Amino acid sequence: MSAASESARAPRLWMPSAGVTIPVATVLLTLLFGLVLIALTGVSVGDAIGAFINGAFGSGYVIAASINRSVVYTLVGLGFIVAARANLTNVGGEGQIAVGGIAATAVALYGGVKGLPLGLAFIVPALAATVAGAAWGALAGVLKVKAGTNEVISTLLLTFIGIWLVYWCVESSALLRRPMTTTATLPESLEIANPTRLPLLSGDPSVPLNIGLPVTVILVIAVWVILARSVFGWQLRAIGLNELASRRAGIPRAALVVAAMAIAGGFGGLAGAVMLQGDQYLLKAGFSSGYGFDGLVIGLLARGSAAGVVAGALLFGFLRSGGINMEMVARVPSAIVMVIQGLIVVTLAAMAFWLDRRKVTR
Amino acid sequence: MSALPATARSGRETLAQAAAPMPPPVLALRGATKRFGAVLALDNVTLEIGAGEIHCLLGENGAGKSTLCNLIFGLYVPDGGEMLLAGAPYRPSGPAAALAAGIAMVHQHFSLIPTFTVVDNLLLGRERGVLRRAAYAEKLAATAAAYGLPLDPYALVGDLSVGERQRVEIVKCLVREPRLLVLDEPTAVLPPGEIESFLAVCRRVADGGCGVVLVTHKLAEVKRVADRVTVLRGGRSVATSEQPAEDIDRLVRAMIQRDLDTLDTALASSLAGMESDEPATPDAAHHPDRRIDALQIDGLTVEDHVGTVRLDALTLTVGRGEIVGLAGVEGNGQTELGAILAGLMRPTRGRVFVDGSEMTNRSPAEITALGVGVIPEDRHAVGCIAEMSVAENIYLNRIGGFARRGLIDRDRMRRQAREMMERFDVRAAGPDASFGSLSGGNQQKAVLARELTLDNLVFLLAAQPTRGLDVGAVEAIYKHIRAVCTTGAGVLLISSELDELIAVADRIVVLYRGRIMGERAAHPREREAIGAMMSGSAA
Repeated sequence: MSAASESARAPRLWMPSAGVTIPVATVLLTLLFGLVLIALTGVSVGDAIGAFINGAFGSGYVIAASINRSVVYTLVGLGFIVAARANLTNVGGEGQIAVGGIAATAVALYGGVKGLPLGLAFIVPALAATVAGAAWGALAGVLKVKAGTNEVISTLLLTFIGIWLVYWCVESSALLRRPMTTTATLPESLEIANPTRLPLLSGDPSVPLNIGLPVTVILVIAVWVILARSVFGWQLRAIGLNELASRRAGIPRAALVVAAMAIAGGFGGLAGAVMLQGDQYLLKAGFSSGYGFDGLVIGLLARGSAAGVVAGALLFGFLRSGGINMEMVARVPSAIVMVIQGLIVVTLAAMAFWLDRRKVTR
Repeated sequence: MSALPATARSGRETLAQAAAPMPPPVLALRGATKRFGAVLALDNVTLEIGAGEIHCLLGENGAGKSTLCNLIFGLYVPDGGEMLLAGAPYRPSGPAAALAAGIAMVHQHFSLIPTFTVVDNLLLGRERGVLRRAAYAEKLAATAAAYGLPLDPYALVGDLSVGERQRVEIVKCLVREPRLLVLDEPTAVLPPGEIESFLAVCRRVADGGCGVVLVTHKLAEVKRVADRVTVLRGGRSVATSEQPAEDIDRLVRAMIQRDLDTLDTALASSLAGMESDEPATPDAAHHPDRRIDALQIDGLTVEDHVGTVRLDALTLTVGRGEIVGLAGVEGNGQTELGAILAGLMRPTRGRVFVDGSEMTNRSPAEITALGVGVIPEDRHAVGCIAEMSVAENIYLNRIGGFARRGLIDRDRMRRQAREMMERFDVRAAGPDASFGSLSGGNQQKAVLARELTLDNLVFLLAAQPTRGLDVGAVEAIYKHIRAVCTTGAGVLLISSELDELIAVADRIVVLYRGRIMGERAAHPREREAIGAMMSGSAA
């Protein structure tokens, strides 16, 4: 029997390389399959590829737009891997973005911040969004610690609440809906004032990269260092790997679970702020349109690595930009892009399962 | 020997003599080889099991005994060599094929459903359509009676003792009238008194013409019952004997690559078991001081969620410098006691004091701060994180000591871990080696390194500390436990191996169904009395 347990570790030697090859192979295979699907819809594959490339890389503007999408994805993905380090699955990115967006809008519009100096006009709403997201995530952590509620269920349900909170906020004049001037006034908030928007990196509005990008780069490095080197990251790993042994060793599991979920939620909230203050400038129903769920997929694809999150986020960011253009210009059904994204998840899961099984049976 | 019916021995001899042209053995392995990845678990093993023969497989943990059994039972496919069943090629596709071929196996871990009755457990997988329970129960009772294995077919398995459950497993095999019975470490779970009768059953089964493979690491059992012995080490067959009783020293050497007399005397006597009547005197310098209590347990009671009493007003003290052995068959409350002392479980009632300070209901961190070291019963679940490195596991409970501005100083941790590994003889590729890659003995030594180096160690709980370890590791662990005592800390040694307790402890307290049955000196002459208490007879 000990021989069997010894055998379980032999394949580990090649796990690190498999950790890279598997996601890459997965993505390439599904992209290939996506092209087949596009051909089947009757669209010229050449047109589709052309439109995709134009939409993703065709100009400074679209590249910047793709990178802005990637920034949001990176933030959500980072939150996911922090929680995942403690073996927690945060599927609540979408809801955390939603409450972050609400908080950023509310503070930017009504928090009296737009006159603040030193960039505080945009920093304070972004921080408010982070705190709101963190609270949303921590709630799931507290539920898990106090009542044993599975965080997958609680974060998912909290997501629905978050999404409908956005609806409520933009539908109710008592909340964030813009003052009704005519019956045709849309159910959305006012636009936030210029000082509260994230400043652009260059004066050139045709390359709309904002300060969210460098901040995110710093956060990627921070998360990498925290997970790889810090006591906190080590403790997260310990409770994720063996809860009982960690408890015996006096590692404060409850506090760590809440903290990990709060950090995951905080990243989601910040992502909401980046979307709202860096791109959309007003709150409307469905403003996140699935970034939280895509971020979850990116977190899974990354297999726990911050660099993996960046890679996945760039892939999804450019894929989404290209996909939108493919839909508009080459008339490829938008569903196809979604199908490809879905396929990536499914094949990844299948491959991970296959790998684990090999590991066990060999 | 005395336990065996004389007729059994002579009967076997006549059987061997009568078989003039030797019939092929029940099972023969020729060059059987099995590898797991890079590990050669079985290397070109050749052995035969004859009808009516008890063939003991002797070897330390990881020697390949279980792998060999699983090969025979069709759980693994060999990578090389062949198996012959009564002379014909035998290549089982799985356990079902092995059973159909007349090979039955009792695994180390039982496969019974506790909420089913005995007969229903035996019917599992045997019948389709209408269950003929009554007819089957009769057959079962007849088989059980024939082999002297009393069983109530309608008892709930969950209500049975471990020994009785094992009886069910054996009867489950015997009703199939197998020609080969494989028993993987069957005596590990039995109290001393039941081992004796179990060995008698093995003999009876063999006398019925069945081949028996008995896996064990206890020499006393080999001496008592084996017709033939194969010693495995590192997956290879390193010695065989047809007169095990005479060859025992040679077999030991083959098994552990050392002479018995080079071993710690306590260990040697516990390994040989049931032989020595001399107390294994610990070093002369050892004077337990019972005036100061390292640990004081006062009326500890645990009721589980359905109200079953797991620990019943347990009261116990461990003096400083004293080793108290807690004897008992597993499942009599040891696990609960261990969990409470580790801070992982709260008692229903009762209090625990360490060195005079109350530790009832304190957190594991607080208990550690009070100077309590814990070698947990379940090393894999509680004692370590297999996926982490050796260094990380040694410092699992004080990683904060290596923090510099929140970051772990890995170099310093590695350096100190290396020193610890040297001091406790933890053999690994290095401090960064994955803990899961270590042998059980080295893992346990790393756990000791962690728990024994607490700044103010007052009390050590050692729960089944040598289970599944090889002789060298066992010896090291005894040495460390004794060393703890000389520093003035008290030790509570929980073990289901009575010989180990007699060898190491100063006195022995017997736990039965959550209650203290009595106390005895740790002396070989008390073995029977302690064994009786372990089976529930009052002292």
